[in-house]
Amino acid sequence: MKTGRAISFASTLVGAVFLSGTALAAPVAISYLTHWSPETVAKLEAAAKDFSAANPDVTITVRAVPFGDLLTTIRSQGSSADGPTISSIYDLWLPELVRDKLVEPAPDANAKEVSSAWPEGVASAASVKGKPYGYPNEIDVYALNYNKKLFAEAGIAAPPATWAEFAADAEKITKKDGNRVTRQGFGMINSWAAGVIHPFSSLLVSNGGTLIANGKPTLDTKAAAETFKLYEDFIKKGYTDPTMGTADANTTGPFLDNFVSGNTGMIIMANWWESALKGGMGDKFANIGTAPIPVGPSGDKARSISYSWLTVVNASATAEQRQAAWKFLSWLNGPTSGKGGASAMSDILLSMGILPSRSSDVAAHGKDLNREFLTGYVKTLADAKAFPVVLGGQEFSEALQQVLEGIQYGRLTAEAAQKNAQADATSILERAAK
Amino acid sequence: MTRSTRTSALVMLTPAVSLVGVFIFLPMLLTIWLSFQAWSTQTGFGAAQFVGLQNYADLLSPLSVGRDFRQASWNTAVYTLLSVVVILPLSVLLGLMVHQNRVAGGHVLRTILFSTYMVPMIAVALVWSKLYSPNEGPLNQILGWFGVGRQMWLSSPDTALVSVVILNVWQQVGYFTVLVIAGLTQIPVALYEAARIDGANPVQSFFGVTLPLLRRTLLFSAVIAVINAVQVFEPVALITQGGPANSTNVLTYYIRRVGIERAQGGLGSAMAVMLMLALIVVIVALFAFARQGEHEK
Repeated sequence: MKTGRAISFASTLVGAVFLSGTALAAPVAISYLTHWSPETVAKLEAAAKDFSAANPDVTITVRAVPFGDLLTTIRSQGSSADGPTISSIYDLWLPELVRDKLVEPAPDANAKEVSSAWPEGVASAASVKGKPYGYPNEIDVYALNYNKKLFAEAGIAAPPATWAEFAADAEKITKKDGNRVTRQGFGMINSWAAGVIHPFSSLLVSNGGTLIANGKPTLDTKAAAETFKLYEDFIKKGYTDPTMGTADANTTGPFLDNFVSGNTGMIIMANWWESALKGGMGDKFANIGTAPIPVGPSGDKARSISYSWLTVVNASATAEQRQAAWKFLSWLNGPTSGKGGASAMSDILLSMGILPSRSSDVAAHGKDLNREFLTGYVKTLADAKAFPVVLGGQEFSEALQQVLEGIQYGRLTAEAAQKNAQADATSILERAAK
Repeated sequence: MTRSTRTSALVMLTPAVSLVGVFIFLPMLLTIWLSFQAWSTQTGFGAAQFVGLQNYADLLSPLSVGRDFRQASWNTAVYTLLSVVVILPLSVLLGLMVHQNRVAGGHVLRTILFSTYMVPMIAVALVWSKLYSPNEGPLNQILGWFGVGRQMWLSSPDTALVSVVILNVWQQVGYFTVLVIAGLTQIPVALYEAARIDGANPVQSFFGVTLPLLRRTLLFSAVIAVINAVQVFEPVALITQGGPANSTNVLTYYIRRVGIERAQGGLGSAMAVMLMLALIVVIVALFAFARQGEHEK
């Protein structure tokens, strides 16, 4: 009798272990949503394949949408287990995605990793109320890109360090055929919110101003007035032709075309454009120089703004999917997945000219970060202010975009634009905070 | 009506009325209810908070959401008006040309005209965004041969909306031409013969016979053209993103931006209600206009 019970117990135990083993090893399919180009998606797919080789029960599919559709896709599909398990997001979107419970807080082990392996500022941009919600990956900072060949032709020895030099250089580079601008000194982008407001914000902080301080908009300051006026002056004097600055859904379009074809002398753009510039210019990419943002009359030193991207996990995915997703993200962003102690993610980012943010990645890629184009950005990063991550941030960005485009197309004066921008921002931030 | 007839009518009508109620009236009522709430589209309806007319007040306010809404409403109205005013006469003109039996290759022309309607919008967007390029675009090169200066097309807020209208006309005119041809085939040849015997020239025949007998077809075409134009979304989303300077921001695109991207479901619903009311007014006005014409006859 005892023997029979023992056999029965043993077989039950074996069965239970077998079943739990089966449950753990059940195949899990997860998906990764990004806005990257097909070439970069292929690199991510290769990394996912390496992960699946070591974790045969996890299959990962990568899906890409244009940047303009990324937030909409996350919002429309992210509340379902069938939606993307992992999404790449702009840090400005995080507070609202957390408020709407679309993304899951990082489990303890992953949260500890994020807090310890990333610089404090970067980790905090991936957190809401001190709780990390994803793995930070890229960090972007804005700097002045200039065409060295056009500068040499115009007899300019060095990139502008102040707004006065900035305006003088823009004037020298600008060429007109009658009233038509055939070459603009400085290119301003339009039709893309981040593309419009980030260069403006970089000039604003380099003039000693800020967009938001202590949760309140600060666009009514003298520093902001001078920045709006700078935009108006460049338009009125014809140093900038807004019709040469349109962006398309992939955030490229005529703005990029005009810079790569030598019709624009200077732009203010983030480091991630390196791959687009290389693709558009080929050998002529060597003509592109990077310099700090010129300092305004109210500024004390060259400053810029930065923002980051992170990968988050769908709160509505199944427990198995979420577990696999965090495991994959830890590996993808960890020091064993890439070359020489770098993460696979950092290798992918650097292939696009994007700065990685994990401390061990920055150390492992020291040599890559010293290449001429990126050096200017790395230097700028030390004095960069993080773009404010607040509830209502996207609406705030789009409202500011509209007033800046109003100046670009001569529909608003600098004074009216400043007044509208401050009133809009106050209303948007107050409403979002309720 | 006897009781049994009434019962059987009720039984037969119930499935259709239920479907209409569930899939048409219920979403409409829900949208109207949501327009009085503050509600994130990512939360359940239970999380909605009643705010009265606040969403409508915001749409009429001088703040960015109000300015953008009014600009989008204006852009949608201009886009709709231009589209209908160009498409309808052009479709009648092309319909008359293609309907002529004496024209060789009429069927081929009809197929070519209709083919633009079948091309997916993504392909149209890709091609037209290049055609419109101010620097390298073939449209400016062709205009240059005739001494016409460089046009900015989609790159200027002064011309961007009209450029999207041209694209829309190019894509839709074939469909409306087919509708006109269908209408023309319904007109008895005897009427034209009678008019000719009475001494009417082709122009008089057109205004005396063709146009009056095309009235119903044109009314249907106008209603469909208005609805299509008011619902314009794809070319804006694919090519212009509502820019430059909000000049191509139309209501459907703006509702998507507010309601989905920003998750402001209450505000988006208020916009949708305003759009629906405007559409109802326009369609009713069209029918009233057509009915008035019939009474005058």
